[in-house]
Amino acid sequence: MSQKNKGQSSRLDRLTDTIVEDILASSDADLLAEAAADNDDGATLARRAFERASRTVAVRRMARAKNPPPGRRPSAANIRALDPKTARGWLDAYLASDPETAGQLSRAVRRGNKLSDEDVYGMLEVLQQRGVLTEKPIEQSRR
Amino acid sequence: MQPRHSGASLLTQVEVKRSISDLTAADWLRLHKVARALCRAASFEADDLLQEAFQRALDGTRQCARTLDIVYFLAGVMRSIASDWRKARKRRPEMSLITETGSLQDVVLQVRDNSPIADEVLAVNEETARLKAAIFALFVDDGLAQRLLAGIIDGLAGAQLRSLIGLSETEFASKRRLIRRRIDKAYPKDWTS
Repeated sequence: MSQKNKGQSSRLDRLTDTIVEDILASSDADLLAEAAADNDDGATLARRAFERASRTVAVRRMARAKNPPPGRRPSAANIRALDPKTARGWLDAYLASDPETAGQLSRAVRRGNKLSDEDVYGMLEVLQQRGVLTEKPIEQSRR
Repeated sequence: MQPRHSGASLLTQVEVKRSISDLTAADWLRLHKVARALCRAASFEADDLLQEAFQRALDGTRQCARTLDIVYFLAGVMRSIASDWRKARKRRPEMSLITETGSLQDVVLQVRDNSPIADEVLAVNEETARLKAAIFALFVDDGLAQRLLAGIIDGLAGAQLRSLIGLSETEFASKRRLIRRRIDKAYPKDWTS
């Protein structure tokens, strides 16, 4: 846009600014009298706009709480940082809360397939990815 | 829910919401009038501008100083949004997808060159000059209002503007109000109406 063109726009902007200043400086009584004379329902429209804005902000907040942006998502615990005993404790706790899986595992163990540490870590990682594992703070130095 | 007075210099989001909820009828009206004035130079709706300003205040995108009147704060937010929207509208390229052969590889993205050509600049200037003349014509019966209007659009303000025309503060406020009221009636929605 040329300087001249910008100047033309800013002249109208100055007029707009003056009008806004006048609205802000006008007394309540004057504004209400104007509205009554003009059948101006601006007050109602402004209140409705606020109600819509409040609803929109509330909905966005709920959506963010349900699905936080990646930067704010709590990072998953590093299962491999658990010492083997704690890892088995976590797995036992999960199995205790899920008897069906525990039953299948017991049969596997009965067939002689005793779970190795690697199996335990692997199972915990799968459970973690599925979002069903109840994680506790890990002391990273224990392993 | 009680507002949290932390002693900080900015209102909390809860305080902002409460401050707006407690506005008087005159303040709601004042905000809508400000929104309409700001939308006169652009093709967007006053209700949309107002809603966007409320949203930014409520979600904390824009923060209100504790010392600032909430109506002045919201007016400032609206002014800023209106300016951004106008700039965005000017910048936004018009794009169209053209497929000559129907295959995806041959899609051509055409972006309109937005730099104004001489004809466009001339047209805008002519339109603004016509509008300016039409606004001045609203005050053909009031030389003082015309001089005040001329001072305003030339960028004068405050005491400098008052002294140029020789008006007291009260007389100035009265004349400014007359200008606003006539413009409101002549251009209720935008500068073309």
